[in-house]
Order: sequence, then C-alpha cells, then structure tokens
Amino acid sequence: MTKKILALMLALCMLLAVSAAMAEKLTVTAWDANFNGNALQAAADDYKANVDPEFELEINIVSGSSDVENDITNAGSSGDYSLLSDIVLFQDRYIKNFVENYPDAWVDLEDAGINWDDITAVKQSYSTINGKHYGAPVDNGTCIMAYRVDLLEQAGYKIEDMKGITWEKFLEIGKEVYAKTGKALLSMDGSGNDLPYIMLQGEGVSLWKEGKPFIVGNEKLKRVVELLIEMEKEHVLILSNDWTGYTNETIMQDQVAGVLNGNWIIPTMTQVEANSGKWQITSMPTLDGGEGFATNGGSSLYVTGNCKNPELAKKFLAYTFGGSKQTYDEALRKGGVVTCCISAGQSEVYGEGVPFFNNQPVYKDITEMGSKIIPIEESPFHYVLRGYLGTAMQQIKDGADIDAALQEAQDATTFYMEGMGY
Amino acid sequence: MTNTAIRRKPAVSHIQRKLIPAYIFLTIMSFLSVFPLYWMFTAATNTSLEVAQGKIWFGSYLSENYKNLIDQQNLWQAMGNSFFYAAVQTLATLLICSLAGYGFELYHDKGKDRLFAILLLAMMVPQVATLIPLFTMISQMKMLNTVWAFIIPGLATPFMIMMFRQNSRNFPIDTMEAARIDGLSEIGIFFRMYFPMMKSTYAASAVIVFMNAWNAYMWPRTVMKGNAVQTMPMLIANMSNGYAVDYGMLMLGVLFCSLPTIIVFFVLQKQFAEGITGSVK
Amino acid sequence: MKKKHGFGLLARQKAAGWGFLAPASLLIFVMSFYPMVKAFITSLQTGPAAKLAWADPIFKNYTRMFNDKVFLTAMGNTFLYLLIQVPVMLILAILLAQLLNNKDLKLRGLFRTLIFLPCATALVSYSLIFKTLFANEGLINSFLKGIGIIQENVNWLGQSDTAKAVIIIALLWRWTGYNMVFFLAGLQNIEYSVYEAANIDGASGWKTFWHITVPLLRPVIVMTGIMSINGTLQLFDESVNLTNGGPANATITMSHYIYNNALGQGVANFGYASALSFIVFIMVAILAFINLKVGDTRD
Repeated sequence: MTKKILALMLALCMLLAVSAAMAEKLTVTAWDANFNGNALQAAADDYKANVDPEFELEINIVSGSSDVENDITNAGSSGDYSLLSDIVLFQDRYIKNFVENYPDAWVDLEDAGINWDDITAVKQSYSTINGKHYGAPVDNGTCIMAYRVDLLEQAGYKIEDMKGITWEKFLEIGKEVYAKTGKALLSMDGSGNDLPYIMLQGEGVSLWKEGKPFIVGNEKLKRVVELLIEMEKEHVLILSNDWTGYTNETIMQDQVAGVLNGNWIIPTMTQVEANSGKWQITSMPTLDGGEGFATNGGSSLYVTGNCKNPELAKKFLAYTFGGSKQTYDEALRKGGVVTCCISAGQSEVYGEGVPFFNNQPVYKDITEMGSKIIPIEESPFHYVLRGYLGTAMQQIKDGADIDAALQEAQDATTFYMEGMGY
Repeated sequence: MTNTAIRRKPAVSHIQRKLIPAYIFLTIMSFLSVFPLYWMFTAATNTSLEVAQGKIWFGSYLSENYKNLIDQQNLWQAMGNSFFYAAVQTLATLLICSLAGYGFELYHDKGKDRLFAILLLAMMVPQVATLIPLFTMISQMKMLNTVWAFIIPGLATPFMIMMFRQNSRNFPIDTMEAARIDGLSEIGIFFRMYFPMMKSTYAASAVIVFMNAWNAYMWPRTVMKGNAVQTMPMLIANMSNGYAVDYGMLMLGVLFCSLPTIIVFFVLQKQFAEGITGSVK
Repeated sequence: MKKKHGFGLLARQKAAGWGFLAPASLLIFVMSFYPMVKAFITSLQTGPAAKLAWADPIFKNYTRMFNDKVFLTAMGNTFLYLLIQVPVMLILAILLAQLLNNKDLKLRGLFRTLIFLPCATALVSYSLIFKTLFANEGLINSFLKGIGIIQENVNWLGQSDTAKAVIIIALLWRWTGYNMVFFLAGLQNIEYSVYEAANIDGASGWKTFWHITVPLLRPVIVMTGIMSINGTLQLFDESVNLTNGGPANATITMSHYIYNNALGQGVANFGYASALSFIVFIMVAILAFINLKVGDTRD
C-alpha cells in the first residue's frame, strides 16, 4: 500500500513539475463553468488560434467569487501566494481593498496595451486604484428590466409603455397585471437585497458618502424601501428567502411577469423554454420618471503576484478581453456573457435578434445601456452594508418601524467598520 | 447479539401484536430518514426544471444528466481524488489513533490520564478559529496542494483516540504478559496481537473517519487548489453555485458523492455495530 | 530509547507506552492547541489581515462583543438550538435504540440501517435536499395542504420561527440515527436478564425505560451529550447552507457569524473573529465540564 501511495505521490509531483516547466501555459481560477468558464475558454481558443498555437489555459472552477476572495485573504495573511492562479476572477468591488492590503499580490495592467477608452466608465471605476488599472473586464453587470410582453398585454400595456415611467406608475401597472394574470411584476432575493441598490443606482445615488455608510438621511433610499414594501404588500413584488428561491421559484416556476437584475440572470430565464418569445427588455423606471440604468454583479480578471509569466498574462488579457470580437462573440454565444467593451458590443453577433426575447437584439441594447450608467461611490464594505440592509428590509416587511430599522443597519455597518479601525 | 434465533414460544403472535406500535413508529422513522435520499435518486433522473418544481417520481433524463455531468465536470477525477485522500486519511488516522488509544489504556497511569483529559479539550477547539493559523503552518511546511495538507489536521482526533481507548478495555492484559514472557516486543504485541483482535473497532472507526474525510469541505477547500486535486464535495459546491444551476445534473453529482459513504457503511455495518458497542462499555 | 542500557523492564514498558501515544499527542498539540494560542494572540489585535496591530485597549475585541447585536442574536439562536434539539434528539435516539434492542422485533437490521443512513449523506447534498423540500412550492407544503393541515403555503425558510424549526428538523434528521447507534451499542452491553426481571415484576414499558434503561445508559448519554453540545455550539453548515442565517439573522449561529467576520464579505476582521471563537471555546468547555460532573455524581 505504501508503495502505491509513494508511486501516486511521485506521479503527482511529476505532474506539478511538468506543468511548471511549460512557459506558454497560464492558470486561471473562476466560478460558474457555464458562464465564466465558457468565456475564458472562448478567450483561450481565440488566443491559441490567432496568436500562439502553443498557448494553453488551465481553467480551475470554484464554487463562487467568495472562494477566490477567501483564497486571497488566506494567501495575503500568510504571505504565501503559491495557491493563487496566474489570473483570478472575482467580483469587482474587492480589488481596491485587496490592493491596499496586499499590494505585492497584484500585477497592474498599465503596460498591457489595453485601450481603456473602449471599456465602459463604470467598469473601469471599480478596478482603477491610484490611477492604475488592475482589472481586465469579463462580463458586464448592466441591469436589464425584462417584461413578459404577453402578460403586459393582458393588462392592456405594451413594452413601450414601461420605458421611462416612475416607480409609482410601475406599481400601478403591477397591480393591474397581478389582478389580470396573478403574476408579480418583480421578484427579489430577500436576503441579497439587490433591488434597493439597483434602484438607487438608477437615481445616481450611492449607499456611501465620503467613505461612510449613507443609509440614515438618504431620502431616496427611504423612498425606494417604502416602495418595495408597498409593492410586496400589493403582490407586485415577491421577496424570496434566498437566491435559490429567487431563481428556482419566482423565475423558473413562472411566478413573475418581470425581472430586474444584472444581465447574467438571462441564462436562468431562458431555462423556461415555454416562455420563449414572450420576453422583452428595456431600461428600468426611476423615482421621478425617466430611464434608469444600473449595474449589479459583474467581475474582472486580475493578474496575481504568483504569476510566473506576467508578460504572457498581460498579453493574453489585452488581446482577448481587451477587445477581441472573436472572444466576446464566442463568450456570448456559449456562455451568455455580455461584454463591457464598447467596440466588441457593436459586432454582428451582438446585433442579432434573440428569439427568446421576441427577436429583440437584446445584447446590443444591453451594451448601449451599459455605457449610460453613472459611476457612484463604492466601498469595500459594500456587501457588509447590503447584508445589513437586507436584514432591515426583512424587519420592515415584518412590521418594524422603517426609520428604526434603517438606523440599525447604519449602526451595524458602522460597528463593523469601526472594528477594523475605519 | 448472542441470541438472534426466533424464540419459539406459543406467545409469539401475542408478542408481535404488542409490537405493532413499535413497527409503525419505526416504519415512519425509517420512511422519514430515507425519503430525502429517495428524492435524491429520483431527482438525478429528472430535468433541472422538474427538480426545481419538486417532482418526486423517476424521470427519463438520467443518461442526459450523466452525459452533461461527464462533459462539464471532471467527475471521475474528483471521485478518484476523494477516494485517494479519504483512503490515505483513514489508514493513517487509524494507525496513529489506535496506537494512542492502546497506549493510553493499556499503559495507563496518572500522567497519561491527565494528558488524555487535556487532549479531550482539542475536541472543543472551533474549526473557524484555527483555519488561518493552520493554513499558515501548512504553507510554511510547503505542503499546500498535497495529500499531506488534506490529512494532517485530522490525523489525530480526541474522539478517535477515545474510541480506541474504550475498546482497548476488552483487550486481555494477561495475554500481554504472556506475550512479553515469550519475548515479543511492545510494538510487536500491538501489531501481532492487538491489531487482529480489534478488527471490529478498526472497522467502526474506519467508517467514521472515511465518512468525515470523504465529506470534508472547508479545510480541503482552503489548502487544495486546482482541478488536479478537486474532491467530490468541492465539485458539487462548484456546480451548485452558478448563475443558472442545472439541478438534474447537480443531483446526479450529489448521488455520486453520497454513494461511496453509503456503500462503505453497508459493507462494514456488522463490524461497525460491534465496534461501537465496545466503545461505550 | 530502547537501546539505552540500564533500563529496567518496567521502565522500558513505560517508555513504550509514552511512545505509543506520542505521535497522536504531538499532532494534537501542534494542530489544535498551537493554532489556538496563535488565535488568542490574534484576538488581541485589530485591523486588516496584513496589517494587524495590538488593540488598544488590549481586550477591545472582547469588550466589543457585548455591544454587538448580531453576535448576541447569534448566541441566542445557538442556545435555542441547543436547548431544543439536543434533548429531543437524545430522547428520540434512546427510544429508537430501546425499540430496536427488542429481540422479538423483526427486521431490526433493516430499520437500524435505514435510520442511520442520513448521517452518511454528504453535507452539501443534505442541505440542498432540505431546501428544496421546504421550499414554498415544495413537497412539504403540498403534502400538508393535501391532508388539510394548512390552507396556504407556509414560507418555512422565510419566517424566523419556522426557519429555526427547519434547522432543528434538519439536525434531528441527520444526527438522530448516528446517536441511536451509540445507544444501541450501550444497550447491548446491558444484560438482557435485567429486562426480563423487570418484566416479571410487571413494570410497564415506560417505567422500564425511565428507571432501568436511562440510568444504565448514563455513560453513553454523557458521551453523546458532550458530542452533541459541542456540535451544536459550533453549528455552522446548516446555518450557512440552509438559511444563510436569515431571515434577518433569525437563524444565524455563532460559528457562522465568526466565519462572516473572518472570511466572509472580503473584508476580514481576524482579531474580532478570533476573540469570538475563543469565547465559543470557553462556553463549550464549561458545558462539557458540567455535563461530565452531572454524569459523575449520580454514579
């Protein structure tokens, strides 16, 4: 037995040695094989076919952005970066904090030769630290407001009627839709609280002000929260318990006539083939009328300090996600990944009508909407705050006083930040 | 355990009648225990949408789910990895903990008893607290991404030592003396006499260690990176957190992940029961 | 060591004894106690992971937790689980073991296997299964509606009381069979004649159970009690996977909250997380100690 173990270990060591010796190879860690995995594969194929036939990309799939973030925290706090891949993918908001805490864990992309003017402003705003670019964009988190056209019609509305309206009007229409069809016009993961953040962004308002949480005294936030609670009462909004409830029940079990989230929600919607052709997308309403644009989620690729061949990594990223039409077209076709590279969004593939969305060229529309998003103040404590805001939402829903609950969320976030010396 | 023959008394049917409530209760409990597992089996044969909608009958999508699983995931590599790590962990842990249990019980004195009481405290050390210091330690030992990183924290656990210690009470001390007079060394007694006599204890412990190692997630996830070392629980976690999850395929993966531990238990269940019996004497 | 001259036979045996337990003991010291010491040092520090500095005042992380509403909630939740789940589970497990120990019962092996099976299921699978079963449109709701107990779907995981109940049910499901096996083993060590004597005396089933079975099983109860208390106070996976602590932190456990502080959300507060886990460690140790003492004095 010991011999076998030894032999196996030896084989393992050799494997590791061989992989280290190959210079044209890069490793990357990402999550979601179908979405990010396909996008990365598309980029690898593109680079291999058009630049370097020897090139190889090993894609390691993990269970979520949090896995990558934990790896970085582990590596940073122990000073051992050896488990980090050459390139890692994680949610856009953390890089500032990571660069600040572990500066030598990253390689910036300043001399990679990416045309930054071609990348949407909001995407760049996340990963530019002290004037240096660190992140190569992958997907674009631009929000879509999708409606079931057939159900709207039953209530006497068209998709055009939904463009540029106020949220109050949305609520009115929602009531009619519910009365006629029994379906809600919106749903949300009650613990993830995407909607307040998205809706507020449409107003150009942040949950942060000069580095401090901006919950108490944020009038627009209060209006948004009140609206959402009202919508929930009127059956216009379904608040699910968690993410699975949001995707599996409200979307896949056909309980809603509308979906508002980052466009990466599309692969979930298209799983219900029976609804093909019945959906269309547009921009979201705003508090005082006019079109609202926002982004939610979305992530970027970062070159780590553990990368053996940073020049190759930069070259690869610049060629592919820096703006290659082939990469982005394939990423879209195979994974539904939408670019935030402006020129790539003008390709033929993006202009094609999508049957599921009644032949609307949704991807072109999404990239256009993406270019209209106004960057707002962000913070590394973004998700901490959103967690507490979600708690407040649930409390208000169960009858708690809105001001008290929001105050509690503000206090809890401040408490967390104080504990870290902020 | 000793008398399993049905007792041929005239009152058998009367006894059985009295047991009817017991049968009903046990049947309900068994049903409740097995139903979620049954559902796991059926879900593996259905489409994603059907699973999400809570269908409870078998479907016809099994081969499709399998094809997708094989195409999209390194299923057999993860199975192989999990099996390798769990097997190494089981062998090594059994050796180290049985040696310790044997030492604590058969050579016991005040000092050793005290040490044992201190070691029991380790059972209460929260895993979250030691995660980062342990990671740093393993990284300094240059063991990250090796089988060692996987097994080292679980090599010696107070629970396993206790298991062997309790069971060692059944080991006859006289035989030890006799063996010593025959000139057998101390370590010789362990391997030649103790080891063969304690088979059921080893079996019971093997079931528990294997199960824990197979299902381990948080620690392996921290020290093992990359497709080459991926284990089954990691594979499942990776599949279950995408933007759009294929639940049929996922449940098939879950089934693959659950089968080995269930099989190990079935194969060793008789020895398992005996080994546990020895541990609570 | 053995090669040394002048070692008596007894001394050599003694050395051998220490030799046998040395590897395991050393491993436990290095892998559990040493990291715990390091965690204690960290618990006196504050700031982001790479720039930890001594806290000022030095016990800041410890005094801080008394003002931490979420931690206090988590502590309340955890103790609620402990107070309900552990006794129910142990009683149920003893009861099942008692039934299965009856030699007249047929299909004993099958029942035992089926009831044990849940704990062989991988954690990821089990939480997934429970989430789906207790979903709004899930099987539990359709079943309860079918037999007329409820009229409308119950949002099990969305209300604080029912969400707590689901966590307790899930724990019961997974661990009752496991504990049952230990009790069954304990019962098999009790002479069958004790029961026959009780039967002749005309003691009822319940009486036999409370006055004979439970006292004789005390050592096993103490052992399973310590294991369960430990497991519940360190409860993590169910809170993370089933409810993610929600709704509104109604089900979050102490370990889950520690994890959120240590690794969750990308902005780690190791100092505070370490202080919290130290407190959990002390709580477990105290409860285990009480459990042992109570088990002892009745002997």
